[in-house]
Amino acid sequence: MNPSNLLSVALRFLAKLYPASKRWLHRFHGGVFPQYYKSLSATQPIRKAFIPEKLILPLEQPVGLPAETLVKVGERVKKNQLLAQASKDPQKALIVPVHAPTSGTVMAIQPMTLPHPSGLQDQCIVLQPDGLDEAIVNALEVDGSHPGSPEALKSTLLHAGIVGMGGAGFPTYAKIPNQRGKIHTLLINGAECEPFITCDDLLMQTRAQEIVQGALITAHALGASKIICGIETNKPEAIRAMQEAASNTPVEIRSVETVYPMGGQKQLTLELTGVEMPHKAHAVDLGLLMMNVATYAAIYRAVVHGEPLTSRLVTVSGLGLNKPFNIHALIGTPFSALAELAEPKVTLDYPLVMGGPMMGFQVQNNDVPVIKTTNCILANPPEPVAMQMPCIRCGECMQACPVNLLPQQMYWHTQAHEYDKVEKLNVFDCIECGCCSYVCPSHIPLVQYYRHAKSEIKAMHAEEKATELAKQRHEFKLARIEREKREREARLKAKKEAVKKEALAEESPSAKKPEATAKSAAEAARAAAAKRAAAQKQSQKSDDSNNPPIPPARLKAIEAAKKAAAQKAQQKNEESSASSKVNREPPKSEQDEKKPDAKSAAKAAAMKAAQKRTQAKKQASTESASEVTSAKKDARQRAIEAAKKRAAAKKAELQPMAEMETEQACSDSAFPQQADVKDNTTAATELTETTTSTPASEKETARRAAIKAAKEAVAKRKAASPSKTEQTENTATPKPDEDKRKKAIEAARNRAAQKRNAANESQQGDK
Amino acid sequence: MNRSMLSSSPYAHNNQNVRKVMMQVQIAAFPALMAHIYLFGFGIVIQWMLAVATFIVVEYSMLKLRGRPVWPFMSDLSALITVTGLVFCIPPEAPWWVVVSGSAFALIFGKHLYGGLGYNPFNPAMLGYAFLLISFPVQMTQWTMPLDITGSTLGLIESAQIIFNGAAHTHTMDMFTGATPLGELKTSLTQGVTALETLNREPYGLLFGLSAWAWINLAFLLGGLWMVLSGVISWQFPVAFLGALAGMAFIFHQVDPTLYPPVSFVLLSGGTMLAAFFIITDPVTASTTPRGKLVYACGIGILVYVIRNWGAFPDGIAFAILLMNIAVPLIDQYTQPRVFGHKLKG
Repeated sequence: MNPSNLLSVALRFLAKLYPASKRWLHRFHGGVFPQYYKSLSATQPIRKAFIPEKLILPLEQPVGLPAETLVKVGERVKKNQLLAQASKDPQKALIVPVHAPTSGTVMAIQPMTLPHPSGLQDQCIVLQPDGLDEAIVNALEVDGSHPGSPEALKSTLLHAGIVGMGGAGFPTYAKIPNQRGKIHTLLINGAECEPFITCDDLLMQTRAQEIVQGALITAHALGASKIICGIETNKPEAIRAMQEAASNTPVEIRSVETVYPMGGQKQLTLELTGVEMPHKAHAVDLGLLMMNVATYAAIYRAVVHGEPLTSRLVTVSGLGLNKPFNIHALIGTPFSALAELAEPKVTLDYPLVMGGPMMGFQVQNNDVPVIKTTNCILANPPEPVAMQMPCIRCGECMQACPVNLLPQQMYWHTQAHEYDKVEKLNVFDCIECGCCSYVCPSHIPLVQYYRHAKSEIKAMHAEEKATELAKQRHEFKLARIEREKREREARLKAKKEAVKKEALAEESPSAKKPEATAKSAAEAARAAAAKRAAAQKQSQKSDDSNNPPIPPARLKAIEAAKKAAAQKAQQKNEESSASSKVNREPPKSEQDEKKPDAKSAAKAAAMKAAQKRTQAKKQASTESASEVTSAKKDARQRAIEAAKKRAAAKKAELQPMAEMETEQACSDSAFPQQADVKDNTTAATELTETTTSTPASEKETARRAAIKAAKEAVAKRKAASPSKTEQTENTATPKPDEDKRKKAIEAARNRAAQKRNAANESQQGDK
Repeated sequence: MNRSMLSSSPYAHNNQNVRKVMMQVQIAAFPALMAHIYLFGFGIVIQWMLAVATFIVVEYSMLKLRGRPVWPFMSDLSALITVTGLVFCIPPEAPWWVVVSGSAFALIFGKHLYGGLGYNPFNPAMLGYAFLLISFPVQMTQWTMPLDITGSTLGLIESAQIIFNGAAHTHTMDMFTGATPLGELKTSLTQGVTALETLNREPYGLLFGLSAWAWINLAFLLGGLWMVLSGVISWQFPVAFLGALAGMAFIFHQVDPTLYPPVSFVLLSGGTMLAAFFIITDPVTASTTPRGKLVYACGIGILVYVIRNWGAFPDGIAFAILLMNIAVPLIDQYTQPRVFGHKLKG
């Protein structure tokens, strides 16, 4: 007998005298010794399979995104048929395919309540079994050979829809590393430390060979050299069965102390390997991979028989049931159907618990389906809750904590809302095993406090981030306003100069020589346009590079057209800023989490808009250039051309304008004022709590409103422009030259007035 | 579905509650109570009943005044432990108003004014005891002579007469009261009598040659060991406290046996065992981390020895505990255990 055995014998003897010394028998700190009630279900044979009236198959697993359905309502499916699978990269989105657990008809695809603490609803395929249980044999089309590389194994596991069946439900294919040889030790979790649950126990007793083979397959694919299985001492038959199955294999079966929470990944890893997983480290990085016995059995069935994961062993137990049992339940079987089979003592008017009494949760609706992580359905009649007394600082919780935290300190600080201190006490290392609440003589629901503190701390950090973002946005907004102001001033100045030039041109004598007058008028107009274009160039830095070399004379005419568009743009800008103000009214709703850096997004939007603008201009200018150069035309003709171009440019401008407007509206809404920071942060808080849909949709409506406003403005302008062209054409018709000149001026004025009116109207429309 | 039920896991509990804990402490004090009755007479029973009456009146009125539910907080029995602890520190034949005022002070100023159970920084029993020591030094030092000195103890009636009237027909105070061994040692040392001589003068007439005070201490030790084994109190407290006290006593006894009494006397005199198992283990006011408990109890052990030998009072338990109570937040701060997967913080 070696010294460690001697020590454990001595401690076991001491434990009779001093029960707390039981805690010295295992390697991790603390732990509790609850009443297990395992014999309730463990003593019963596994109940024969049962096909319920309907199966509810959630498209989303506990971890990852939902799969896409491949079947339609009314379609008949066979057992093992693929019903839903990932449409995108499953590796990234952690999507797990869904298979039919039995043959039947798809009744509906609709949201149903899931077994989730919050009573979450999500899309489910509702299947009506036909009782024939017609199956597709070898649905995964495997040849039964053991995969030699992690990739091959992962692909099979992905198609089989295997997830961690111990509780967390992390997709197994995603858990396995890609490189062969990264894992040196494979761990099998057969601890099953929660009271009442016996499904792993019975699985080990009845399918030990499958578990061991599953582990060997995995080890073979990953190149792991060591396989250790840990089973709690309160399952002697399981240990015996596993030892038998593991004889002549490298699998080592080890019995571990019966203490809750021995089945915790970090706890069992420490117990089996002596490795204390460092804070925030992943087991895979340490060369360790632990999976539940049920997962290994599922791996075996997938790899050797090509069976997808469509059923699992579930314990149906509890003090409220007359005949607790274990059953190979089809995934999707409603809880209530299984509980009714166990003959409840009284009507099940109380919520069932999924999982064990220590870490399970009450389901919101007893009809929720069995999912791949449902190891136990617990029916314990409600007991009167003991009154919560003040904490007497007895430290029982600290002695029980398997992570060696200071539960009572965390409780005090949580109560005082000092979440920074709670975080400092490493609340995020809490595994929520419930040991502290279990031993608390004051009946304080400590775990609930920590869950609350964790969510508060997460919210706090999100808030800090949001505040920082808002600050950046505000600074950016100030900079933008400043820039816009400068640009506006520059444009105004250019315009004034242009008007001056025009006035000069008007005064010049021209009545006697119509040809010359027309020429000089055109020249004056060109000069003015050149000036304006220069000003515009100055103000809009982005578009100076795109202009191809065009003869200056023609350029002027072209620029005249551009100018008109630019003026429109300016008005439009003002208009859009007005509309964006309107949009800014509900600022918190338009928060978008997905935009990680609103600043860069806004910049990108601005750049895009500018690019479009220049593109439109370029288009307009090249067109006009070719046309203008094609033939020599008189002033009248040219005026007509110019007018047409204006209209074209305007039209070309409208599209980017509309876009720019919407984008600006968006970016503006993403730049709320400092006063809105609070609202933002609360919105951000909401965002962190998975309810992203509302802000996103609200933002969408805001965007739509902006687009609509832009469209309205476009329509108005379109309505206005034909009359304008008519007028310009009228102006251009052969008439006495004096009249013509006057009319041209008048027309220009009219145009300006109309534009203003249109802008005003659209502004009002926006409001 | 009924929403008043537990909404969050765990749905299991080990069925321990505050009342059960307090009751276990009360039961553990019974051997000492019996020994006390046998050695000092029924005075303590009357004192205890007076204290319980005070506790009921004070708790009820304080909870009413504070607007707290009366029954749940009175039935947690924490006040019972407080007054029981205090009663063991009061001379059995002290006037009735001593225990009444002491208990009332302990509960009102020691507990309720701080916000009730769980919120008091100072041990209420020791606060009451310190209050009595300072306010009524004469009454608090006139201890009834134990059985081994007087040869007989007072009956229930006689005790009651003395407690309520100040004197009985047949006895005067001086006839049956005197200094405790610790007090006697202190006065003897000031008169130039060595510690050994003083202790040898003690009549060791009782079983196994142990004095009455030693027997009381052993009775506390018995109850205390049961509490440690059943997990009501942490082993760190008595081990560190008695260890520190014994260590101090051993060192100084080796240095000068004429001035400093031997270890056995130090451990089995005064309120040593009462403090070790019943007073310093009060979780509310003690340190909570495992190492912190050791530091806290060690500190008390050292302070007790210091006050006994060089202080003004024959027994320094009350002051030692109150002093260490002040240091508890600091101790807790610097003795946080290493969290799983974390490196030990410096």
